[in-house]
Amino acid sequence: MRKITFSIPEFYGWPTHLLVGGLLCLLLAGCRSDDQVEPLPAPDDPYAFVAPANFPPATYTFDNNPVSEAGFRLGKRLFFDPILSLDNTVSCNSCHNQSLAFADFPLHPVSIGVGGATGTRNAPQLVNLAFRREFFWDGGATHLDFVPLNAIENPVEMQEEIGRVIDKLNADPEYSGLFGEVFGQNRINTPQLLHALSQFMALMISNQSLYDQHLAGEYSLEPAEARGLALFETHCQGCHSGILLTDESYRNNGLDSSFTDVGRELITAYEGDRGKFMVPSLRNVALTSPYMHNARFNSLQAVLDHYSDGMVDSPSLDPTFRREDGRLGIPLSETEKSDLIAFLKTLTDRNFTNNPLFFKEQ
Amino acid sequence: MYLSNYKALCFALSILFVFSACRKEDDVPEPAEPQEFGTFDLVFDNVYGDGELSLVGTDDENFDYVNGNNQDFNITLLGYYITKIELTGPNGEYYADEMATSADPDEVKGFYHVLESDANSRTIRLNEVPAGKYDRVNFTIGVDADAVSEGATGGVLDPAEGGWLWNWDAGYIGFAFEGRSPASPAEATQWAPENAVQLHIGGWKDLPDNPSMVNNVKRNSIPFPSSVSVGERLEPNAHIEMNLLTMIAGPHATVDFSTTFSVHAPALGSEIAKNLATAFTVDHVHQ
Repeated sequence: MRKITFSIPEFYGWPTHLLVGGLLCLLLAGCRSDDQVEPLPAPDDPYAFVAPANFPPATYTFDNNPVSEAGFRLGKRLFFDPILSLDNTVSCNSCHNQSLAFADFPLHPVSIGVGGATGTRNAPQLVNLAFRREFFWDGGATHLDFVPLNAIENPVEMQEEIGRVIDKLNADPEYSGLFGEVFGQNRINTPQLLHALSQFMALMISNQSLYDQHLAGEYSLEPAEARGLALFETHCQGCHSGILLTDESYRNNGLDSSFTDVGRELITAYEGDRGKFMVPSLRNVALTSPYMHNARFNSLQAVLDHYSDGMVDSPSLDPTFRREDGRLGIPLSETEKSDLIAFLKTLTDRNFTNNPLFFKEQ
Repeated sequence: MYLSNYKALCFALSILFVFSACRKEDDVPEPAEPQEFGTFDLVFDNVYGDGELSLVGTDDENFDYVNGNNQDFNITLLGYYITKIELTGPNGEYYADEMATSADPDEVKGFYHVLESDANSRTIRLNEVPAGKYDRVNFTIGVDADAVSEGATGGVLDPAEGGWLWNWDAGYIGFAFEGRSPASPAEATQWAPENAVQLHIGGWKDLPDNPSMVNNVKRNSIPFPSSVSVGERLEPNAHIEMNLLTMIAGPHATVDFSTTFSVHAPALGSEIAKNLATAFTVDHVHQ
């Protein structure tokens, strides 16, 4: 009679029922579908995407592009590399600086592109992007992956063709190796570039401001800050709502009566959207001067002065700013403005702006 | 070392039992008889009116075609995305082409960039079509929200590989025609020659609160003139004609090149996009 040979030494001498039972357990565990066996990220893994418990569900498609350490670091390298621009002079970092929550410098009220070209809008901060539905002042992108393309190809920003960027990256042996390590393909292509950048940006989570600590019961607001929060809840939270501090709607807040930049209308072709722009998140707002899509105001005081006394009328002005007495804006005293500013400063997240995770690596 | 026959039997049975338990819930039982499959080719023929159509370079000064407004023109670029292909038959036959987005071009499935300039692109081979009779094809012209919402994708959707992606209003151009016409007042620019006519039909978004938002992705359902059999040793195909004349002088829009020569935004292309519904017909099938 033939004998069946097993060469696995561990089997030798084990009672059969234990052996079979153990195998059953092992194999049954293997039957669970992929999403169940995904290991929970270690809490101290800085490269794991972990959504804060009080945030809305992430919008980013991590199923297509899970964050890894190598992918994140590749994205970071690209973020700091002017290779993305026509003449290798402008990087993402040129207009998005970590110390300012990845907003642009006050000296660049609108973005400065290749050859000193000036844009028409103020570069926004980059925070909590993995939770956002739409991007840019006009909502021209609905997925984070597509956001960098707009900057790369814009004639007044990086002024480069995406095909040339991909050729430059493929010609660089170091990038070829790094991309190969992350994506396992022979040739770099556009989605790999955009996925790497998205991995870097997806981890830009700002949720450790004094305000967040207040929400968690770990910080008692100063009296002025507390009064400011009450005013914020009354006057501002209708639009700057939720934990992201924006409802992601498009609104006209009375900056102009006629429009050189039509804003949301550019995307929707709807005249009723003329002069509307996306409500910006107020996280880290004290760091992101100047303010508004066109960088009209240099200080929070100037912003609040606009809301109290500076608004001008136009057909698409948001109804929330029309008061019963026919005046426009939000009634605010100077003391109230001072309190509001005290509160807005609690939205600054120095743990985020100082986080070494995002520092440039040599 | 040896195990007894009894132990070996137990072990083998346990493996069998456990692997049989591993089948996913959505697995369908094996049919009693092995299912037969075949291929089906969709061949796209671009025509103009009753005649053939051919491309010329952007410096060509011959204008061999006449539009619905009696304006001469030529054709320098013509193409479209075909996606979400389905075949249906009179007895419930059904085939849906697999759709998949990925950064890996080899994993991208179901997106076809049909270009007049690339003969290979004009034949779409559908594999593993269940054997049976088919008498209708359904397909989408353009790339819809399902794909855009998956983010960056490789293959024919990669803008560095010739994919037609708008960056300022992120989404894909579903149909594009470019040419030149003496009627067009366009001046030469970095992106277009003198007298250029560029009609780029894109826009994929529906906004419930904004009726003006234009979704120009269209789905067509076209009957075959006669049913076609798919099977193991058969090589059937259907020739689908795309008539450019219908696109620029169709029931919904007759394009005047003196005024409509630069369409690069969803709303500007919305009326032309409606002509997509009748621009594609199945001219004939081969069994």
